[in-house]
Amino acid sequence: MEESLALKTARPPAIGWDGKTLREMVHEKEMLTKETGCYYGVQELELYKRDPLKLEIFHCRLRAASIAGREQARLISASPLVREVAELACGIHSPEGDCLLQSTGIVIHIPLMSQTIEWMIKNNYESEVGIHEGDIFTSNDNMIAGMHPPDVYDMLPIFYQGVLMGWAATVIMEAELGGVAPGCMQSSGTERFVDGLRWSAEKTGEHDQWWKTSEIRVKANCRLGDLVLLDRKAALGANIKIREEIGDVFKEFGIEYYKKAIRELVEIERRSEIERVKKRTVPGRLRTHCVFENMYSDQPVPPHHAKDQITLVPFDFIIKPNGGYLWDFDGSGAWGWHPNNTTPSALTGAACTFLTQTIAYTGTANFGTFLEFEINAPYDTYVNPSSRFIGTQDLFSVPIQGGGLAVGLQSRAFFSRGFVEEVLAGSPATNLHGLAGTDHYGRDFACLVPECAGTHPSGAFALRDGLSPGHVIWLPTVDMGNVEIWELMCPTLYLGRRLLPDSCGWGKFNSGLPIINTFMVYKTPMLAFDNTAIHPVDKIYPSSGLFGGYPGSGSMYRLLTNANTLDLIKQRKPLVHGIGLPDTDDLNQVSGHLEVETRRSVFMKGVAKHGDIFQITYGGFTGGYGDPIERDPVLSLKDVESRLMTGDRCRRIHCTEVSLDENTGKWSIDKEKTKELRNKKKTERVSKAIPVKDWWKKRRKDVAEGRMPELLKGMYKSSLEKGARWPKEFKAFWHLPDDFSF
Amino acid sequence: MLQGPNHVITCETRHEGGDNPMETIQYPKELIRDLVEGRLPWDRVKYIASSYKDDDRFDKYVEILQDRMKWNEKILLPLTNKLYIVQKGEDRVVKCECGHEFGDYRVNWKLNALIHVRETKQEVEELYPYPSRPDPEYCEIREFFCPGCAAQLEVESVPFGLPVVFDFLPDLDSFYSEWLGRPLSTEKEFKDLSYDLVAKWAKE
Repeated sequence: MEESLALKTARPPAIGWDGKTLREMVHEKEMLTKETGCYYGVQELELYKRDPLKLEIFHCRLRAASIAGREQARLISASPLVREVAELACGIHSPEGDCLLQSTGIVIHIPLMSQTIEWMIKNNYESEVGIHEGDIFTSNDNMIAGMHPPDVYDMLPIFYQGVLMGWAATVIMEAELGGVAPGCMQSSGTERFVDGLRWSAEKTGEHDQWWKTSEIRVKANCRLGDLVLLDRKAALGANIKIREEIGDVFKEFGIEYYKKAIRELVEIERRSEIERVKKRTVPGRLRTHCVFENMYSDQPVPPHHAKDQITLVPFDFIIKPNGGYLWDFDGSGAWGWHPNNTTPSALTGAACTFLTQTIAYTGTANFGTFLEFEINAPYDTYVNPSSRFIGTQDLFSVPIQGGGLAVGLQSRAFFSRGFVEEVLAGSPATNLHGLAGTDHYGRDFACLVPECAGTHPSGAFALRDGLSPGHVIWLPTVDMGNVEIWELMCPTLYLGRRLLPDSCGWGKFNSGLPIINTFMVYKTPMLAFDNTAIHPVDKIYPSSGLFGGYPGSGSMYRLLTNANTLDLIKQRKPLVHGIGLPDTDDLNQVSGHLEVETRRSVFMKGVAKHGDIFQITYGGFTGGYGDPIERDPVLSLKDVESRLMTGDRCRRIHCTEVSLDENTGKWSIDKEKTKELRNKKKTERVSKAIPVKDWWKKRRKDVAEGRMPELLKGMYKSSLEKGARWPKEFKAFWHLPDDFSF
Repeated sequence: MLQGPNHVITCETRHEGGDNPMETIQYPKELIRDLVEGRLPWDRVKYIASSYKDDDRFDKYVEILQDRMKWNEKILLPLTNKLYIVQKGEDRVVKCECGHEFGDYRVNWKLNALIHVRETKQEVEELYPYPSRPDPEYCEIREFFCPGCAAQLEVESVPFGLPVVFDFLPDLDSFYSEWLGRPLSTEKEFKDLSYDLVAKWAKE
């Protein structure tokens, strides 16, 4: 009897290497890395020295496995987010959770899946939950790790003869996950409890199959449950594919080689990243800031969350003499009850997506890429809230705005070093929309439409204009998806998908132009639009220009209810397809009640029905490069010929004299007059500008006497209270007393 | 020699050996000059961007820029497409390509520039024709001009009342001594000296 009881309560045998538990392995790794400065204490690169090609082939096998997994998932899923927009990625991780490789796709999540696995290990999953071959673990709990709940992580352990060799992990973004309307990324998600379906690193299946109870939970709690379930099968298919491929690697290279090689690959990447930084940049301090405008006083949220606040997040980007990076957010203001705070985990994701697109883009990025990357996210601030109950639908706030601005900051260091081909002005924004109501099949419906994966422009390059469109900081594989597929999914018909004229960030080289989409609401009696929560910016634009360039336009949402579109169709009259030119708005062709909104993270007022019109512009505040009056007139001619810039703005901003021959319809430039215009502009500049010293004296008085909007005073007060270094610098710059506050 | 998409790009490749797994290459100075001055076709730029980075880029880059300048002070570091940190006697100062000097590189050069803030709705609308635009009551669009040539050197978009942003304070001594392996003749403390200047202004 006693023996049988002992058997039941005995700890299961350790599944780590050499009889160790996973916790012991994590501890050993941390100790050895700290002691030696090298990952896992790997100081000698034995395998690399012995046969570098063999190690390279080994690496390629793993990378091929991760990409094969990702492609397999795309064939299984039915979601347009996966099939069209490629909102997925696969990673291969060490037993301790450290990322060894990442596929293409939303790589921002790869280190966060690492954090989730490590969290499970440190929370005794090995002994208390059990980790066995074929077990499936699912997580979208962003207080463990992650960017927001719709990004669901599925993780599968990989064993060899009873010993854990690693993990296959796949992230897929869901279009709807059972939250309050519109189902996910909801603007009104001011606390965790309305975020929707949540898995807190839970075991959801075994023997390579999701449990029936896990499926029931999804079906009962999601509007688009079938899509979510098929995505789980897609993720499982990807993970099994990776496991099979890794099994072949075990056979081909031998298990001892595998064990040694994965640690060596991480250490090589750590060293390589330092080399890249030292070779391409210049050490020093780069500086910018993020500002977030959370306007909730008129939004459908609990009354104690319904307030307006503006928050400052100062951002120092330090390139250290040792080749490491530090992102310092000292001076960040208070966190709040809205979905737009962020967390240290989300900032780690930002570091991943930033590095892998700008400096560590050779396909070797892994845990080693981030070993010398440090983040200072002060506790109890916007970047590190002290409550675990915050809404987490948009932890992307600082990662996207800050990450986008970091591209421009790092570009300054690239420029100083001479790598002008890498210089890119900032692209600090993304916006999208969510839908909720009834769909064109008559069903209860909610859906996020992340076309923004392909509709935003890039900042300007140092050598040419930015891309129109084709860039978002959070996704290297840019794709807006096919109109026809979105139309199958959503009760909105596309009337147009066009570029928005005159909306670039002006400069010698302009940023790209964003897309404007025009939809006709289709076969629904009831549809609501959410200007989905991503880094709320409206009044205060991010500082994204480089060397004299301006930030580009932000986003705009327009809803025309009671629109006469159906009458226009009957009368065979023109419909609205875009915006035309700024001064001759196409929307004037349609009558109805117009709501215009430029704020993000709010619902559009009004409920739309069949025939109404909705427009969204994907302005990304993208930066121009260089003095706008240095633009090559030949480029200006192309601008006006393409009808993407008006002659008026070409003259006023670029000071290029262009004229249109009404008879031939041809544009021409006048070089002499252009020269005159530019000289005149320089004279104007000197006459209207003042020395900064004079401006400082005037502005200092404004600041000292609090002459600014109340929301800004609140913003500064919060940063002065929360910061350590930043308040001293703020007071020193404005020469204010030590006890100054607003 | 590397074969680019439509052009031949000549360069030398070498492997450093040892523990460093990275291969290094070098491009001819003329090619770098064309690249820096924007004369290379985009397919060649793209090819260079996608290749290994050349080891000696910085020195060739500085030589090319130095050739372009009408003044003689040695460029220590290009700061923007118009501004350079140069050696001037014992000092290191920020200098515009037009020759105007902004003072010690550790003081934010913007403090010695000209400024214009777009404060009216019309001035903001000129840049932003749609309803989405910065609100001048909350947001300052600060334009910084060179007093020497009136070039627009930087634009800041900041909340009203934010200190002037010191975009990049390079750690020049660490760069030269630790990264390039050739220390500068005199060492300067890596410190933001902007606050000393505004303290002086406050006393005037």
